[in-house]
Amino acid sequence: MIKDWRPDAPDPPMTDPTHPFLPVLLLLLLAAFVGAAILVVSGKILPGLLKPENPQPHKLTPYECGAPPLQEGARHRYSIKFYLVAMLFILFDVEAAFLLPWAVQYKAHLWTFWACLSFVATLLVGYVYAWGKGALNWER
Amino acid sequence: MVIERIDETLPGAVLDRHAFRGDQTIVVGRDRLLEVIDLIYKEGFQLLLDVTAVDGGQRDPRFDVVYHLLNLTSQERLRIKVRVGERESVPSLVSRFKSADWAERETMDMFGIPFEGHPDPRRLLMWEDFPGHPLRKDFPLDGGDVFCSQDIGASFSPDARSPHV
Amino acid sequence: MAGINLDDSVMTTRLDAVVNWARKNSLWPLPFGTACCAIEFMSMMASRYDFSRFGAEALRFSPRQSDMLMVLGTITNKQAPILRQIYAQMAEPKWVLSVGVCASSGGMYRTYSTLQGIDRVVPVDVYVPGCPPRPEAMIYGAMQLQAKITKETIKGRREHIEKFYESMARQEELQKARGLSSHQVVREMVLAAGENGEQRIW
Repeated sequence: MIKDWRPDAPDPPMTDPTHPFLPVLLLLLLAAFVGAAILVVSGKILPGLLKPENPQPHKLTPYECGAPPLQEGARHRYSIKFYLVAMLFILFDVEAAFLLPWAVQYKAHLWTFWACLSFVATLLVGYVYAWGKGALNWER
Repeated sequence: MVIERIDETLPGAVLDRHAFRGDQTIVVGRDRLLEVIDLIYKEGFQLLLDVTAVDGGQRDPRFDVVYHLLNLTSQERLRIKVRVGERESVPSLVSRFKSADWAERETMDMFGIPFEGHPDPRRLLMWEDFPGHPLRKDFPLDGGDVFCSQDIGASFSPDARSPHV
Repeated sequence: MAGINLDDSVMTTRLDAVVNWARKNSLWPLPFGTACCAIEFMSMMASRYDFSRFGAEALRFSPRQSDMLMVLGTITNKQAPILRQIYAQMAEPKWVLSVGVCASSGGMYRTYSTLQGIDRVVPVDVYVPGCPPRPEAMIYGAMQLQAKITKETIKGRREHIEKFYESMARQEELQKARGLSSHQVVREMVLAAGENGEQRIW
């Protein structure tokens, strides 16, 4: 607090030295009360007074552009094939992303040829495995 | 001309023929329609453009079922008419042309002509329990709605003008 | 504390007026576009005419999230029970704007297949004539609807919509009793109303 330097200024009010944060606590309590009151009034009491409530059986019918639904439920089951292909695509896509910077710079560090060869060989093992398992065969 | 070759191969199949400004029309009996269609399919008429019908009113037989075909190589067009009476059926062409499916359903819906051997003989445009067939001559244009046939002025509800609520 | 005049700082009003003020400035349109009026509607929503100036910014393509049904185009008899179903599913309170002559009166289609005005099957608040109406006309129609909302009461609107639900229950009953499709039942209700000299089934 800025001191009032006028000669006839009253003494500044003394805060209780035993509870210096009592006003803060009071402020917190007030804020919590006001917040709760706003939530209750605007979320519970006012809508209860104002919102139109008219339950009708037609409002619970499914919306299919007004026509009766042809199929039970809106969720369909997808074939596992889509996930499998997506996973394999990510794998080999990332491989290409790794190889590109290496291909630009490998002449500066020729030993990295063998490092990358081992990386591609590891992937090749996985590729052969996936092929052997029939993961690339769509008509299965 | 394709019509002469039909006459040679299937004598007696073409009952009548006429041409108007280059539009060839032949009339075929309903028992020989499939034979004629198979023959002209080999000739190149591989696109069935439309299946529809004409109601002759009091005429006997009452309906003409009309098929429009196009030869995709020579760009020739051919119209085939099949005369049917009431409650007589026509062989369905769905086994030959996929495009006949909905066209035949529509013709059946609008004229009430049954197509024999159609895989899905439901109505296409009107609902299932609609009474009558709308494009027949004896069907009233307004479908029995008094607002269509009488001049009753505006059909707005009167309370729409005033702030009634 | 002297000199404070309550008239300068306190305003009294009715609940209806406050609620209607909120309602008319937060319409959520559901476009039911079946013909060329829907093309004009796109123009009306787009930046040149900008319907969002009137508080109807958010289009919703589900009836559960909207309260202003805009019928844009020809409604056939086959479409009539579908329109009723969608109107029944909308959130309350709800209003209907009938755009174009086809929706308002059947327009040029005086045939067996066209519903002669959607006011036969759903309660319409504002009719916008035109074939199709220009976007200005639709905006004027929406402003007329806002003016109408200003004048109505909450209770009156609720009772107005309640009449529609009664007709919906009647339609269900007929469907069950006679084993007909909803299209045929609505068609027969409309025809019977016409025979009795009435103009609507709700």
